[in-house]
Amino acid sequence: MARAIKGMLIECDPSIKSLVVKIDQDYRDIIIEELDDTHLLIDPSKLTFIKKELNRILADNSYNPFDDEDPQAVAATLG
Amino acid sequence: MPEASDALQKSKLEDLFSDNSSSDEALSDNEKLILSTKRPRKRQKLSEKTQDAIDKIKETNDDEVFDEDELIKISLDRPSDFIPDAVSHIFGNSDFSYLKLKPDHSSRPIWISPSDGKIFLESFSPLSEQAQDFLVTIAEPVSRPNFMHEYKITTHSLYAAVSVGLETDDIISVLNRLSKVPVATSVVDFIKAATHSYGKVKLVLKHNRYFVESSSAEILRMLLKDDVIGKMRLQTIDDQGTGVDGLVQTEAPKQGDLVIPGTKKNHEEKNSKDKTKSKSTDTDKNEDEEPEDDVENIYADVIGDAEDENADDTVHSFEIAAENVETVKKRCQEIDYPMLEEYDFRNDTRNPDLEIDLKPSTQIRPYQEKSLSKMFGNGRARSGIIVLPCGAGKTLVGITAACTIRKSIIVLCTSSVSVMQWRQQFLQWCTIQPENVAVFTSENKQMFRGESGLVVSTYSMVANTRNRSHDSQKVMDFLTSREWGFIILDEVHVVPAAMFRRVVTALATHAKLGLTATLVREDEKISDLNFLIGPKMYEANWMELSQKGHIAKVQCAEVWCPMTSEFYQEYLRENARKRMLLYIMNPTKFQACQFLIQYHESRGDKIIVFSDNVYALQEYALKLGKPFIYGSTPQQERMNILQNFQYNDKVSTIFLSKVGDTSIDLPEATCLIQISSHYGSRRQEAQRLGRILRAKRRNDEGFNAFFYSLVSKDTQEMYYSTKRQAFLVDQGYAFKIITHLHGMEDLPNLAYASPKERRELLQEVLLKNEEAAGVELGEDADNLIGHGISKKLKSSSIKNQASMAGLAGGEDMAYVEYSRNKNKDLGVSHHPFFEKNYYRRRKR
Repeated sequence: MARAIKGMLIECDPSIKSLVVKIDQDYRDIIIEELDDTHLLIDPSKLTFIKKELNRILADNSYNPFDDEDPQAVAATLG
Repeated sequence: MPEASDALQKSKLEDLFSDNSSSDEALSDNEKLILSTKRPRKRQKLSEKTQDAIDKIKETNDDEVFDEDELIKISLDRPSDFIPDAVSHIFGNSDFSYLKLKPDHSSRPIWISPSDGKIFLESFSPLSEQAQDFLVTIAEPVSRPNFMHEYKITTHSLYAAVSVGLETDDIISVLNRLSKVPVATSVVDFIKAATHSYGKVKLVLKHNRYFVESSSAEILRMLLKDDVIGKMRLQTIDDQGTGVDGLVQTEAPKQGDLVIPGTKKNHEEKNSKDKTKSKSTDTDKNEDEEPEDDVENIYADVIGDAEDENADDTVHSFEIAAENVETVKKRCQEIDYPMLEEYDFRNDTRNPDLEIDLKPSTQIRPYQEKSLSKMFGNGRARSGIIVLPCGAGKTLVGITAACTIRKSIIVLCTSSVSVMQWRQQFLQWCTIQPENVAVFTSENKQMFRGESGLVVSTYSMVANTRNRSHDSQKVMDFLTSREWGFIILDEVHVVPAAMFRRVVTALATHAKLGLTATLVREDEKISDLNFLIGPKMYEANWMELSQKGHIAKVQCAEVWCPMTSEFYQEYLRENARKRMLLYIMNPTKFQACQFLIQYHESRGDKIIVFSDNVYALQEYALKLGKPFIYGSTPQQERMNILQNFQYNDKVSTIFLSKVGDTSIDLPEATCLIQISSHYGSRRQEAQRLGRILRAKRRNDEGFNAFFYSLVSKDTQEMYYSTKRQAFLVDQGYAFKIITHLHGMEDLPNLAYASPKERRELLQEVLLKNEEAAGVELGEDADNLIGHGISKKLKSSSIKNQASMAGLAGGEDMAYVEYSRNKNKDLGVSHHPFFEKNYYRRRKR
């Protein structure tokens, strides 16, 4: 008997798709179907989780100059 | 009330100017020292420029509403009736919205942060030019983009300001004039504290021994009680009278030929309050007394007087060991008694003069003069660092400084190639005799024979602690045994602090000048330089230089290349080192590179492609059929390629590895493409940009050089890329981000266009072992000195690709041969036996 599953279609860059596939490998049950390079069908309930994970992973790749600033140096400037 | 205060201000200002006549004199004489600049007037103008700026600021922005003094007193504390608004919590303690703006704030260009002394300047304001002149004198530039500049007031910058004759009150009142809000008490106090104690303690080098000197025994006693400095003191057995407290008292050194009578008492009283004033009165008197004084003597006078402010009849001193100098300096800084380290070279008769002058044909540029006027601001040589962009003539600044001091000089640089360049530049720009220029490298150890001379060497030669050959030991003994008037430290940013320490303690020098283009390091060691050399004295404004045509205008762009899904999947799976290889070899990046090369070649540009990764360098260059140079390229081949690039129209693109970062000078290049780089090294980015700053065509109408950085999207490379750009962004460069290269897909014979080719490439990359991912070991300045890679990366073992010959030192041999060749041209002959062997080897 045919079974219907509720899914959500997402479109993204090839690299983001690969990331989602990676997340799926780690946590399971996220992707229902890989359609092509830029489209995926996923479980709608996992959407927020995926967004959070993506943000976390991609944040490593962006540089924030304030991370580097030495708090002591700032404090010490005016004695 | 306001009018009265204005009048007061005016009279003060006039005072200032009349007082300054003496220091002006000092300056104009100082100009005579720099004889060869041929433009003595100019010099004066420059130092006056700041005064002018101050003057103008005062005139143009007359304060009619506020009494300056009243405003200064406004407390910094948050008023009790302050109601935080909706966004206050975001700013926490840095919410200064309660500071009331002056009614005419829109015409005032700066805002000073009360908490850390940072100054923000609206550079579009009509007053900004004057404000910049002023701010550069009292503060250090932090960041200078197009419309908003950031400066920072530091103790060092304030010392520099005081030593060129600015007075505390003046600094504060001008700041207050310029500021949109009243200057905070914290800032005012800071300025007062920093300028007050300046110049009380001196570090003096006498007969190769270091002394801490002061005119007041009180201060020295206080210093000796300090647990850090007290320990550093050397007990000296001197025949001079030792005081009760153990301080050595000596006659003040008599500067010049004149003893200044009568004015001593006034002096002592006044000296803390009114330095310049006493200086000028003294000078006047002396002139009256001995009108037949020649210019030389007046000069000596002025200097002598300045000296006398600190040193009255007697000076008190104690000795410290050379290796402790840095610690003591640091400590003195901490307890707010910074040591004055100035070299009064005009009155140093002990060290013989060196016959050196700039050639009459030598012209130095305005900004070079400006930087030197900071160094010789009061007629004496101050130690410090001068920062100029690559290609802006750092060498000439060093040479001019050397010609000013005219004592024995030692120059240290990073490699034997630059040793030769320095030597050649000295001979080119000034009149020094070739026999007085000695070179100390591993293959050349001859010294000058006269009483004074010039030595050019490398850091590693001098800092070497291992066993030396007999010859080099002999030279080292010579170097350490004598006193040097002046040391030039080239590329100061690359040298690790430990090595510096060895160099600085080994060589006894009166004045030190550090030169660099990029005063940044990834390992935060840059602040050490403050104590090892001195403060930053001058930093050129890159944008200004490029507007004036001294360096090329550059368009910077970061090209985002999306990873293909196959590559990205592998990327996610691999470890960090292999990842690097994947994002460098990203097919999209390759295509972007191909496209850009094609595009710029058709425009007639000469292109250099940089890659730190040798594997990628070879892959790219072979695939695109372009010549490439990396560490193990033989010298002959290198020269051949470079010459073709310069003169052959058919070769307009070359690929360079790290070896091209610094030592290769190609004024033909007009376009740079960077495909892989050394992690987040801001310095490398700036050095590479420097390759096109001296472009020959820079003064052509509408000429632009191009700098592309190719970055694989969504990878670690994005992080590094942003970090690398930070320095250039601070200099005012804007990076455009290109997400899509229009027309790239339509390029004929585009590489890796089909999925099959891409898969093959991926296979190949995956088969490469980790070693291929390493950055090259090469002759780049970093590796030569040995601290290019930050500690974190170093601790995990790094494998590098290198040939057997390279590991055995064979590649360096090639370099050696090259330089030896050059030496030969310069007239060094070899024994027939070596000649024969050498010839045979070359033949092979």
